[in-house]
Amino acid sequence: MKFSVTKEKLLEGLQQVQNVVSTRTTLPILSNVLLQANEGVVHLTTTDLDVGVRGSFEAEVEKEGATTLPARRLFNIVRELPASEIQIDVDGKNAASIRSGQSFFKILGLPEEEFPPLPKFEEAKVVTIRQKDLRDGLRKSSYAISTDETRYVLNGLLFSFKDNKLTLVATDGRRLAMVDIELEIPRSQETDIIVPTKAVTELQRLLTDEGDVKVSVSSGQIAFDLNKTLLVSKLIEGNYPNYKQVIPGEAKERVTLERETFLNSVRRVSLLASEKSNSIKLNFSKNNIDITANTPEVGEAKESLPVQYKGRDFSIAFNPEFLMAPLRALTEDEVFLDLIDEMSPGVLKIQTPFLYVLMPMRISS
Amino acid sequence: MDEKCTQLWQKLSAALKPHVSADTFKRWFSAVELAAVTPKALSFRVPNNIYQYWIESNHMAALEAAVLTALGEPRQIEFISSESPINDSEPAATSKQTHSVNDAKPATSSFGLNPRNTFESFVIGPNNEIAHAAALAVAQSPARTYNPLFIYGGVGLGKTHLMQAIGQYVIAKKKNTKVIYLSSELFINEFIDAIQHNNLVKFRKRYRQADLLCIDDIQFLGGKERSQEEFFHTFNTLFDGHKQIVLSCDRPASEIANLEHRLVSRFEWGLTAELQPPAIETRLAILRKKARGMQIKLPDQIFEFLANRIRSNVRRLEGALMRVASFASLSGKALTQEVIEHLLKDILQEEARTSITIEQIQRKVAEHFDVRLADMTSKRRPASIAFPRQVAMYLARELTKSSLNEIGDAFGGRDHGTVLHACKLVKRRMKEQDSIRQTISFIDSSLQR
Repeated sequence: MKFSVTKEKLLEGLQQVQNVVSTRTTLPILSNVLLQANEGVVHLTTTDLDVGVRGSFEAEVEKEGATTLPARRLFNIVRELPASEIQIDVDGKNAASIRSGQSFFKILGLPEEEFPPLPKFEEAKVVTIRQKDLRDGLRKSSYAISTDETRYVLNGLLFSFKDNKLTLVATDGRRLAMVDIELEIPRSQETDIIVPTKAVTELQRLLTDEGDVKVSVSSGQIAFDLNKTLLVSKLIEGNYPNYKQVIPGEAKERVTLERETFLNSVRRVSLLASEKSNSIKLNFSKNNIDITANTPEVGEAKESLPVQYKGRDFSIAFNPEFLMAPLRALTEDEVFLDLIDEMSPGVLKIQTPFLYVLMPMRISS
Repeated sequence: MDEKCTQLWQKLSAALKPHVSADTFKRWFSAVELAAVTPKALSFRVPNNIYQYWIESNHMAALEAAVLTALGEPRQIEFISSESPINDSEPAATSKQTHSVNDAKPATSSFGLNPRNTFESFVIGPNNEIAHAAALAVAQSPARTYNPLFIYGGVGLGKTHLMQAIGQYVIAKKKNTKVIYLSSELFINEFIDAIQHNNLVKFRKRYRQADLLCIDDIQFLGGKERSQEEFFHTFNTLFDGHKQIVLSCDRPASEIANLEHRLVSRFEWGLTAELQPPAIETRLAILRKKARGMQIKLPDQIFEFLANRIRSNVRRLEGALMRVASFASLSGKALTQEVIEHLLKDILQEEARTSITIEQIQRKVAEHFDVRLADMTSKRRPASIAFPRQVAMYLARELTKSSLNEIGDAFGGRDHGTVLHACKLVKRRMKEQDSIRQTISFIDSSLQR
């Protein structure tokens, strides 16, 4: 196998796939990237057996063939190369010679046959989504995925294809984020699946603002085909809990907030939220919210925010990180905060179908 | 749900309502049923797992408070989901992982964990409830709550039992977690071995890839400088990688001789839990539980006799029980107090030797308050002397079997009324002033050691 390519193209190709390679692995082949040179194009594939990514770049292929090379090492070398033209020549024993300007590297790879193939998708359910929509949806929901490994069904994002919409849900037991994406879904293609966190993170990196993504679901696995790149992942087995139970009933009070102003205030005040209780208080009074935090023996912070509010005076406490996460992920100027009382969950909404349920913290008097 | 459960659940509901909002109660608790009650745990049946997740994350404090109000004591709380029980311990297993699950069974024994040392077989009393709660919290969510967990206490009080219980709990919950349990002596030996055979890398890899590292009897690291250094790095790697570390020791970290300060400070970083010798009630409970485990029946007086006479150490208590039980089954003789006393005379003598004398108390108190030992018995009574003397009398009353008259005599021929007054006064001041209570419990525990 022999090909030449510009540094930028090779680097871009490697960047797309190299995150999947795990640093600690028992199978050495999994730290390698599979390179397959065909007419005018080189395909790159990495996998950790749970998630796999396949990308490609255009190159001048002199001799077709395939091999696997250590992904991190190759990436580090390419990144440091001085010249823009790179030539890679792999001999029959999977030793790759990399030439670029005055530099010469030789790295040893493993045979292509050892590389586990990505799963095939036959008899899959297929849905097409606009990349931009999916990217938006993931951004608005993925931060609420649980990292508690003991509740493994929550260690992923629920994709519910139903009633002509895709509903994305993430929860960690203290908060829940939910987004709807309008979509045409034939009855026969409806399904509920849980996509693991790692695949969601990678997918977010790969999605762009243009074009469509073709989603194929077959038993136990999912593929996202982004035209040039392909992401394949195992699904989390099990039933996602009935999240609808969490969404509170009708709100008593609703306040409209300017997202950025509110976010900035919360962030400033949270500087004095104690590490132990880690909460900030929202004190509602007529046309005003006082955001306060205090840590015994450290100090306190208070910021006032004029708002339209005519309800009763009351206070509610939230974990500031949990409150800021959706505010950071959203892009809308205005958000609505719906509340019932100081012990019931708060709900953050926007104009489009999105919902964020957040449990209040106990206010110690 | 039988009658008893229904009633208890009604009681619990009533206790719970003030703690949560009406909406919360309706939404989450109205669908909950009390499925089973055991002396240790309450099992709640929930319609599906979102109930469990949400209640565990948000309303556990309220539920625990309600249990405390309704039953007067804390219980473990468990949930059963009536939805098809999905396999909770094994996330989407690849063929590789399944393989490792299959050989997890034989591996368990090679962890060096005794299958009998579980949380279920641990008898909880006021002497060890903090340590037990901490251990359970660690086992339920390793590296989240208390890291490192440092358990210390005297011989045979359950340090090893708790550590092994953590290990087994974690393994049972998540099969491919890497649990390493060993004594610090074994750690040192393996380290020396690794130096000799020049395979330190392998040694490091073994320990630094653990998800849960339990090291028993860490005090033996004292004075072993290279091993301490190695352990220091292992500790840091694991801690930074958010892996749980559990350590046990026979004394507080700061009292381990020749242990580097950076290690001491690290040991004190997480939670330090002390195991104290069990009180009489706990000792009785332990004996009863053990007897049930060994399927032997003994009259109540014998349990009481053993619990009364063997105070210092659970292991010795079990040994004595075993000896009595085997004697009964082998000889077939009736068990009278004399027979048992004869049977256990070496143990009882040993116990008597470790019992505390009034003189020891006087010496310790005098040393602590920096007064002369002679002041304990003298007639002088300025406050600076009188109060330590009263403390000593109080401790003598609490820790020895001496009568009021005997104590009075030992303190320079004082009247029994004087002693009684001293006890009352100290008790009252302990209630009023935290500092005095702390001082006295400090002296108390240093005497017991």
